[in-house]
Amino acid sequence: MAKIKVKHTLFFEFVKGLWDESPVFRQLLGMCPTLAVTTSAINGFSMGMATSFVLICSSVIISIVRKLIPSQVRIASYIVVIATFVTMADLFLKGNFPEISKALGPFVPLIVVNCIILGRAEVFASRHSVIPAFVDALGMGIGFILALTVLGTIREILGSGTIFGFLQFEPMVIMILPGGAFITLGLLIAFINYLKDKTKREEVAPACPVPYGSGASEVK
Amino acid sequence: MNKILKMIVVLTVIGIISGSVLAIMYQWSLPKIIENQIKSTNEAVFKVVPGTVKYKENSVDDLVYFDCFDGTGARIGTAILCSGNGYQGQIKLMVGVNADLTQFTGMAILEQLETPGLGAKIAEAKFQAQFKGLASRPPIEYVKGKSPSRPNEIEAITGATISSKAVVDIINKTVEQWLRLK
Amino acid sequence: MDLLIIFISAAIVNNFVLIYFLGICPFLGVSNKLEKAFSMGLATTFVMVLAAIVTWLINNYILMPFNLPFLQYVSFIIVIASLVQFVEMFIRKTSPALYRSLGIFLPLITTNCAILGLALLSALREYNFIQSVVFGLAAGLGFTLALCVMAGIREELDLAPVPEHFKGAPITLIIAGLLALAFMGFAGLISG
Repeated sequence: MAKIKVKHTLFFEFVKGLWDESPVFRQLLGMCPTLAVTTSAINGFSMGMATSFVLICSSVIISIVRKLIPSQVRIASYIVVIATFVTMADLFLKGNFPEISKALGPFVPLIVVNCIILGRAEVFASRHSVIPAFVDALGMGIGFILALTVLGTIREILGSGTIFGFLQFEPMVIMILPGGAFITLGLLIAFINYLKDKTKREEVAPACPVPYGSGASEVK
Repeated sequence: MNKILKMIVVLTVIGIISGSVLAIMYQWSLPKIIENQIKSTNEAVFKVVPGTVKYKENSVDDLVYFDCFDGTGARIGTAILCSGNGYQGQIKLMVGVNADLTQFTGMAILEQLETPGLGAKIAEAKFQAQFKGLASRPPIEYVKGKSPSRPNEIEAITGATISSKAVVDIINKTVEQWLRLK
Repeated sequence: MDLLIIFISAAIVNNFVLIYFLGICPFLGVSNKLEKAFSMGLATTFVMVLAAIVTWLINNYILMPFNLPFLQYVSFIIVIASLVQFVEMFIRKTSPALYRSLGIFLPLITTNCAILGLALLSALREYNFIQSVVFGLAAGLGFTLALCVMAGIREELDLAPVPEHFKGAPITLIIAGLLALAFMGFAGLISG
């Protein structure tokens, strides 16, 4: 493959995660943390950082060892790798940022079952060498951070009347309630659909695709 | 056969690596985590029993309380850990009583899942401050929409009476349980 | 009384889907047909109860005695994944009819964060064995309830003139938001 083409591809792998294949807004992946922790911009940002850390580390590791893992046990291996990094992130947060760790609560360990990570591992990292895998994970990670921060900022401005803790006015309580999370995200996705005016949009949320062959059917 | 062997070897190796990495990471972060826990307990105890320099943790059955001492070693009060059901989930709080059991010296909400913007106001300083200097006998009562007139009354938060009531009930119940131990 | 509070709290007041945001993926993905939603809900409830039992045993008889809390996430997720696989094989062998109606949903359950969330929450709250099982059952039934209500609404929605850009996920999310607000009306049930 020509060098120029590789460069172009790398750039493409990076940018696609930011908009075209934005994990939250376009692929509707990782919805649980997206809705749950975005009561404030800082919470959304921290969650995005933690998830990106796990995503990038596990993508790189999986890409390095991809040829050593027999395909029958790959999902189990990926899960162990992911869970290891999640535990590391959790211990790090508990040790150094107890406040954030408390605010995110069980959603830090739940990064394990965030479909973005297993999805990228299966679709991308297990089929590409280290550098593209890293760039892809970085792009997706930043896309996820962006989405969570945007949602968190909107909900913080409207629901608490503050931005990253500053600014004050009479807030609309509903925005930081669970209902507000669903409604804000729904409106935001509709707005992005409007911007894209995409014709081939799926009718029903694809949601987390079947965890590629974690079922017994593959182990025959 | 060879394939199965490979699967087992790979999974075992991954398991061992993962286990050892986590064990090292855990050893490294454990002191900090413990330090954080002690720090948050310290903060709560010092807040609900002002003037505390040293405290000693006690527990009887499910009840956890901290005897507090000032610089000279005299007992100045007790901080009691309370928990119970609120409007939406468990509320955990700490309440301080002075040495002769006549007054509360302070209250701190440690954990709550109340409605943000409404019930969650129990975690605000304004509500918590009402418990400072409150008479501990008879049991605390709450009033709605007016200023408290008796020494054992607090004012409930507007729009969050149930959360306020839950806090009062939790404190009354736990303190009574603790007094029976004495 | 204690068990009743746990049950009502997990099934209704703090509904896993609408209040805790656990299991959003199947909630959005499998809620277009009532029948499918019901099957998915039951399959999930079944796995949840099993997961509650097994993870409780692991947590209290292996992780705690040997002081290995840092292996909690790794061991829980492996147990859940194997459990789902085991249940799938078992159902396929014993009841092909049941397998046909539930089988396709089972692999989806592994990455349903409601299951891992259940295991983690019950470990965090230090529930005893019976409490964990009740918690698992209640969370599963609450999940089924949310899924079925949503599916019922979405079946009607097919006939409604939804604005073009709102079709699919956005309108589903907005309905979920309204449902979440409605479920907030149940809060206070447990404080009595």
